[in-house]
Amino acid sequence: MADSQDSRGRIRRLWDWFWSPIPVLSVGFTLIAGFLAGILFWGGFHWTLELTNTEEFCTSCHSMETNLGEYRETIHYNNHSGVRAICSDCHVPHEWNHKIKAKVMAVKDVYHELVGTIGTAEKYEAHRLSMAAAVWKKMKASDSRECRNCHNFDYMDFTIQEARAASEHQRAIDNNMTCIDCHQGIAHNLPPGYLEEYQKVTETLSAQAGDLPEKHAAAGDDIRVFLNETTD
Amino acid sequence: MLDILGTIGGNVLSLPGILGLALGMMTRKLWLGALMGGVIGVLETLIFAHWQFGNIETLELMIAIIVGICAGSVGTAIRLKGATV
Repeated sequence: MADSQDSRGRIRRLWDWFWSPIPVLSVGFTLIAGFLAGILFWGGFHWTLELTNTEEFCTSCHSMETNLGEYRETIHYNNHSGVRAICSDCHVPHEWNHKIKAKVMAVKDVYHELVGTIGTAEKYEAHRLSMAAAVWKKMKASDSRECRNCHNFDYMDFTIQEARAASEHQRAIDNNMTCIDCHQGIAHNLPPGYLEEYQKVTETLSAQAGDLPEKHAAAGDDIRVFLNETTD
Repeated sequence: MLDILGTIGGNVLSLPGILGLALGMMTRKLWLGALMGGVIGVLETLIFAHWQFGNIETLELMIAIIVGICAGSVGTAIRLKGATV
Protein backbone atom coordinates (compact mmCIF):
# COMPACT_ATOMS: atom_id res chain seq x y z
CA MET A 1 0.00 0.00 0.00
CA ALA A 2 2.80 2.36 0.96
CA ASP A 3 4.69 1.46 -2.24
CA SER A 4 1.71 2.22 -4.41
CA GLN A 5 1.53 5.74 -2.94
CA ASP A 6 5.25 6.34 -3.26
CA SER A 7 5.67 9.09 -5.83
CA ARG A 8 9.46 9.10 -5.61
CA GLY A 9 11.39 8.19 -8.72
CA ARG A 10 13.48 5.03 -8.98
CA ILE A 11 16.79 6.84 -8.48
CA ARG A 12 15.47 8.80 -5.51
CA ARG A 13 14.17 5.62 -3.87
CA LEU A 14 17.52 3.91 -4.44
CA TRP A 15 19.31 6.94 -2.95
CA ASP A 16 17.07 6.93 0.14
CA TRP A 17 17.50 3.16 0.55
CA PHE A 18 21.29 3.54 0.29
CA TRP A 19 21.39 6.01 3.20
CA SER A 20 18.79 4.34 5.42
CA PRO A 21 20.00 2.47 8.54
CA ILE A 22 20.02 -1.33 8.44
CA PRO A 23 18.48 -2.75 11.61
CA VAL A 24 19.38 -6.36 10.75
CA LEU A 25 23.20 -6.05 10.71
CA SER A 26 25.43 -5.55 13.71
CA VAL A 27 28.33 -3.09 13.68
CA GLY A 28 30.77 -6.00 13.84
CA PHE A 29 29.20 -7.75 10.86
CA THR A 30 29.24 -4.54 8.83
CA LEU A 31 32.88 -3.84 9.72
CA ILE A 32 34.07 -7.38 8.98
CA ALA A 33 32.10 -7.57 5.73
CA GLY A 34 33.42 -4.14 4.69
CA PHE A 35 36.97 -5.16 5.54
CA LEU A 36 36.72 -8.36 3.49
CA ALA A 37 35.06 -6.55 0.61
CA GLY A 38 37.86 -3.98 0.76
CA ILE A 39 40.54 -6.67 0.54
CA LEU A 40 38.79 -8.33 -2.40
CA PHE A 41 38.30 -5.04 -4.23
CA TRP A 42 41.83 -3.82 -3.63
CA GLY A 43 43.36 -7.18 -4.50
CA GLY A 44 41.36 -7.33 -7.71
CA PHE A 45 42.22 -3.76 -8.58
CA HIS A 46 45.92 -4.29 -7.99
CA TRP A 47 45.92 -7.61 -9.85
CA THR A 48 44.26 -5.98 -12.86
CA LEU A 49 46.74 -3.13 -12.73
CA GLU A 50 49.63 -5.59 -12.71
CA LEU A 51 48.17 -7.34 -15.77
CA THR A 52 48.65 -4.08 -17.67
CA ASN A 53 52.35 -4.25 -16.74
CA THR A 54 53.03 -7.48 -18.62
CA GLU A 55 55.06 -7.58 -21.81
CA GLU A 56 52.18 -9.31 -23.59
CA PHE A 57 49.82 -6.48 -22.73
CA CYS A 58 52.26 -3.72 -23.71
CA THR A 59 53.04 -5.27 -27.08
CA SER A 60 49.50 -6.36 -27.92
CA CYS A 61 48.94 -3.14 -29.88
CA HIS A 62 49.95 -3.09 -33.53
CA SER A 63 51.91 0.15 -33.13
CA MET A 64 54.20 -1.43 -30.53
CA GLU A 65 55.62 -4.00 -32.97
CA THR A 66 58.48 -1.70 -33.98
CA ASN A 67 59.36 -1.07 -30.34
CA LEU A 68 59.30 -4.77 -29.58
CA GLY A 69 61.54 -5.69 -32.50
CA GLU A 70 64.17 -3.15 -31.47
CA TYR A 71 63.99 -4.13 -27.80
CA ARG A 72 64.54 -7.81 -28.69
CA GLU A 73 67.95 -6.90 -30.10
CA THR A 74 69.14 -5.38 -26.84
CA ILE A 75 70.79 -6.71 -23.70
CA HIS A 76 67.69 -5.89 -21.68
CA TYR A 77 65.83 -8.63 -23.59
CA ASN A 78 68.49 -11.29 -24.06
CA ASN A 79 71.69 -11.68 -22.04
CA HIS A 80 74.01 -14.18 -20.42
CA SER A 81 72.31 -14.14 -17.01
CA GLY A 82 68.70 -14.36 -18.16
CA VAL A 83 67.69 -11.39 -16.02
CA ARG A 84 65.38 -9.22 -18.10
CA ALA A 85 63.84 -5.80 -17.99
CA ILE A 86 60.44 -5.75 -19.69
CA CYS A 87 58.60 -2.65 -20.91
CA SER A 88 57.05 -1.79 -17.55
CA ASP A 89 60.37 -2.06 -15.71
CA CYS A 90 61.64 0.97 -17.62
CA HIS A 91 58.41 2.84 -18.35
CA VAL A 92 56.22 2.30 -15.27
CA PRO A 93 57.35 3.60 -11.87
CA HIS A 94 57.22 1.21 -8.93
CA GLU A 95 56.02 3.70 -6.34
CA TRP A 96 52.23 3.75 -6.12
CA ASN A 97 51.53 7.42 -6.72
CA HIS A 98 53.85 7.69 -9.70
CA LYS A 99 52.56 4.37 -11.06
CA ILE A 100 48.93 5.47 -11.02
CA LYS A 101 49.91 8.73 -12.68
CA ALA A 102 51.73 6.82 -15.42
CA LYS A 103 48.72 4.54 -15.92
CA VAL A 104 46.33 7.48 -16.22
CA MET A 105 48.64 9.18 -18.71
CA ALA A 106 48.94 5.94 -20.70
CA VAL A 107 45.33 6.39 -21.78
CA LYS A 108 46.74 8.62 -24.51
CA ASP A 109 48.54 5.57 -25.96
CA VAL A 110 45.19 3.82 -26.43
CA TYR A 111 43.83 6.91 -28.18
CA HIS A 112 46.80 7.13 -30.54
CA GLU A 113 46.57 3.40 -31.27
CA LEU A 114 42.91 3.83 -32.21
CA VAL A 115 43.50 6.83 -34.49
CA GLY A 116 46.67 5.28 -35.95
CA THR A 117 49.07 8.09 -35.10
CA ILE A 118 52.04 5.74 -35.43
CA GLY A 119 50.22 3.00 -37.34
CA THR A 120 52.72 2.75 -40.21
CA ALA A 121 56.53 2.57 -40.33
CA GLU A 122 56.65 6.04 -41.91
CA LYS A 123 54.42 7.55 -39.26
CA TYR A 124 56.44 5.83 -36.55
CA GLU A 125 59.69 7.27 -37.83
CA ALA A 126 58.09 10.70 -38.14
CA HIS A 127 57.18 10.60 -34.43
CA ARG A 128 60.21 8.72 -33.14
CA LEU A 129 62.15 11.81 -32.04
CA SER A 130 59.23 13.41 -30.21
CA MET A 131 58.32 10.12 -28.51
CA ALA A 132 61.92 9.60 -27.44
CA ALA A 133 62.18 13.18 -26.19
CA ALA A 134 59.05 12.72 -24.05
CA VAL A 135 60.58 9.66 -22.38
CA TRP A 136 63.95 11.37 -21.93
CA LYS A 137 62.23 14.33 -20.30
CA LYS A 138 60.49 12.06 -17.80
CA MET A 139 63.67 10.14 -17.06
CA LYS A 140 65.82 13.22 -16.68
CA ALA A 141 63.24 14.87 -14.41
CA SER A 142 63.00 11.77 -12.19
CA ASP A 143 66.79 11.23 -12.03
CA SER A 144 66.33 8.03 -14.10
CA ARG A 145 64.17 6.57 -11.34
CA GLU A 146 63.14 3.50 -13.31
CA CYS A 147 66.76 2.67 -14.27
CA ARG A 148 67.67 2.86 -10.61
CA ASN A 149 65.13 0.21 -9.68
CA CYS A 150 67.78 -2.26 -10.89
CA HIS A 151 70.98 -0.23 -11.32
CA ASN A 152 72.53 1.55 -8.37
CA PHE A 153 75.85 3.38 -8.23
CA ASP A 154 76.22 2.33 -4.58
CA TYR A 155 76.45 -1.34 -5.54
CA MET A 156 78.48 -1.06 -8.73
CA ASP A 157 81.84 -2.82 -8.49
CA PHE A 158 83.97 -0.62 -10.70
CA THR A 159 86.86 -3.08 -10.44
CA ILE A 160 85.03 -5.62 -12.61
CA GLN A 161 83.69 -3.06 -15.09
CA GLU A 162 85.52 -2.19 -18.27
CA ALA A 163 87.98 0.63 -17.59
CA ARG A 164 86.04 3.08 -19.73
CA ALA A 165 82.71 2.22 -18.10
CA ALA A 166 84.18 2.51 -14.60
CA SER A 167 85.77 5.85 -15.45
CA GLU A 168 82.56 7.29 -16.91
CA HIS A 169 80.42 6.01 -14.05
CA GLN A 170 82.78 7.64 -11.54
CA ARG A 171 82.57 10.84 -13.54
CA ALA A 172 78.78 10.59 -13.55
CA ILE A 173 78.77 10.31 -9.74
CA ASP A 174 81.15 13.22 -9.37
CA ASN A 175 79.07 15.45 -11.62
CA ASN A 176 75.59 14.46 -10.46
CA MET A 177 74.73 13.07 -13.87
CA THR A 178 71.89 10.66 -14.37
CA CYS A 179 71.65 7.42 -16.36
CA ILE A 180 69.75 8.85 -19.33
CA ASP A 181 72.41 11.55 -19.83
CA CYS A 182 74.57 8.89 -21.51
CA HIS A 183 72.36 5.84 -22.03
CA GLN A 184 69.84 7.13 -24.55
CA GLY A 185 68.74 4.48 -27.02
CA ILE A 186 69.52 1.65 -24.62
CA ALA A 187 66.42 -0.30 -25.71
CA HIS A 188 65.21 1.41 -28.90
CA ASN A 189 66.86 2.84 -31.99
CA LEU A 190 67.98 6.45 -31.84
CA PRO A 191 66.52 8.93 -34.33
CA PRO A 192 68.69 11.39 -36.27
CA GLY A 193 69.33 14.58 -34.32
CA TYR A 194 68.84 12.94 -30.97
CA LEU A 195 71.72 14.74 -29.26
CA GLU A 196 70.37 18.16 -30.21
CA GLU A 197 66.91 17.10 -29.03
CA TYR A 198 68.32 15.85 -25.73
CA GLN A 199 70.08 19.17 -25.29
CA LYS A 200 66.70 20.90 -25.74
CA VAL A 201 65.14 18.59 -23.15
CA THR A 202 67.79 19.41 -20.57
CA GLU A 203 67.58 23.13 -21.34
CA THR A 204 63.81 23.06 -20.89
CA LEU A 205 64.08 21.27 -17.57
CA SER A 206 66.89 23.55 -16.41
CA ALA A 207 64.85 26.62 -17.32
CA GLN A 208 61.86 25.27 -15.38
CA ALA A 209 64.05 24.61 -12.36
CA GLY A 210 65.89 27.92 -12.71
CA ASP A 211 69.25 26.18 -13.09
CA LEU A 212 72.05 26.91 -15.51
CA PRO A 213 71.63 24.93 -18.74
CA GLU A 214 73.68 21.77 -19.00
CA LYS A 215 76.24 21.25 -21.74
CA HIS A 216 76.00 18.20 -23.95
CA ALA A 217 78.15 16.73 -26.67
CA ALA A 218 77.02 17.48 -30.20
CA ALA A 219 76.59 14.74 -32.77
CA GLY A 220 79.98 13.51 -33.90
CA ASP A 221 81.86 14.75 -30.84
CA ASP A 222 84.04 12.29 -28.99
CA ILE A 223 82.30 11.80 -25.68
CA ARG A 224 85.53 11.38 -23.70
CA VAL A 225 87.04 14.58 -25.09
CA PHE A 226 83.79 16.42 -24.42
CA LEU A 227 83.61 15.21 -20.83
CA ASN A 228 87.26 16.03 -20.20
CA GLU A 229 86.70 19.58 -21.38
CA THR A 230 83.41 20.22 -19.63
CA THR A 231 83.61 18.41 -16.29
CA ASP A 232 86.02 18.22 -13.38
CA MET B 1 47.02 18.77 -19.08
CA LEU B 2 47.54 15.02 -19.19
CA ASP B 3 50.23 15.39 -16.55
CA ILE B 4 47.80 17.21 -14.24
CA LEU B 5 45.05 14.63 -14.83
CA GLY B 6 47.51 11.84 -14.07
CA THR B 7 48.60 13.56 -10.87
CA ILE B 8 44.97 14.01 -9.78
CA GLY B 9 44.19 10.36 -10.53
CA GLY B 10 47.28 9.21 -8.67
CA ASN B 11 46.27 11.21 -5.59
CA VAL B 12 42.63 10.12 -5.67
CA LEU B 13 43.73 6.47 -5.55
CA SER B 14 46.52 7.13 -3.08
CA LEU B 15 46.74 8.39 0.51
CA PRO B 16 45.03 11.79 0.07
CA GLY B 17 42.00 10.22 -1.62
CA ILE B 18 41.59 7.07 0.43
CA LEU B 19 42.97 7.96 3.85
CA GLY B 20 41.58 11.49 3.51
CA LEU B 21 38.12 10.05 2.91
CA ALA B 22 38.48 7.63 5.83
CA LEU B 23 39.64 10.37 8.22
CA GLY B 24 36.85 12.65 7.04
CA MET B 25 34.33 9.94 7.92
CA MET B 26 35.61 10.04 11.51
CA THR B 27 34.30 13.55 12.21
CA ARG B 28 31.12 15.57 11.79
CA LYS B 29 33.08 18.84 11.57
CA LEU B 30 33.61 19.78 7.96
CA TRP B 31 36.64 21.96 8.64
CA LEU B 32 38.33 19.17 10.59
CA GLY B 33 37.70 16.61 7.85
CA ALA B 34 39.09 18.98 5.23
CA LEU B 35 42.08 19.82 7.43
CA MET B 36 42.96 16.19 8.04
CA GLY B 37 42.66 15.46 4.31
CA GLY B 38 44.93 18.41 3.51
CA VAL B 39 47.54 17.26 6.04
CA ILE B 40 47.49 13.81 4.47
CA GLY B 41 48.12 15.48 1.11
CA VAL B 42 51.23 17.19 2.52
CA LEU B 43 52.44 13.99 4.19
CA GLU B 44 51.97 11.91 1.07
CA THR B 45 53.94 14.37 -1.05
CA LEU B 46 56.73 14.31 1.53
CA ILE B 47 56.75 10.50 1.63
CA PHE B 48 57.09 10.22 -2.14
CA ALA B 49 59.77 12.93 -2.10
CA HIS B 50 61.68 10.77 0.42
CA TRP B 51 61.27 13.51 3.06
CA GLN B 52 63.38 15.95 1.07
CA PHE B 53 61.75 19.31 0.42
CA GLY B 54 64.03 19.83 -2.57
CA ASN B 55 62.32 16.95 -4.38
CA ILE B 56 58.84 18.43 -3.98
CA GLU B 57 57.17 19.96 -7.01
CA THR B 58 54.82 22.80 -6.13
CA LEU B 59 52.12 21.63 -8.54
CA GLU B 60 52.15 18.09 -7.16
CA LEU B 61 51.96 19.39 -3.60
CA MET B 62 49.04 21.67 -4.44
CA ILE B 63 47.12 18.90 -6.19
CA ALA B 64 47.73 16.49 -3.29
CA ILE B 65 46.44 19.05 -0.78
CA ILE B 66 43.37 19.91 -2.87
CA VAL B 67 42.52 16.23 -3.42
CA GLY B 68 43.01 15.61 0.32
CA ILE B 69 40.74 18.52 1.27
CA CYS B 70 38.05 17.36 -1.17
CA ALA B 71 38.27 13.74 0.04
CA GLY B 72 38.17 14.79 3.69
CA SER B 73 35.13 16.98 3.04
CA VAL B 74 33.33 14.19 1.19
CA GLY B 75 34.16 11.84 4.07
CA THR B 76 32.58 14.26 6.54
CA ALA B 77 29.52 14.61 4.30
CA ILE B 78 29.18 10.83 4.29
CA ARG B 79 29.37 10.83 8.08
CA LEU B 80 26.69 13.51 8.34
CA LYS B 81 24.41 11.80 5.87
CA GLY B 82 24.98 8.20 6.81
CA ALA B 83 25.40 8.10 10.57
CA THR B 84 23.37 9.29 13.53
CA VAL B 85 26.34 9.48 15.90
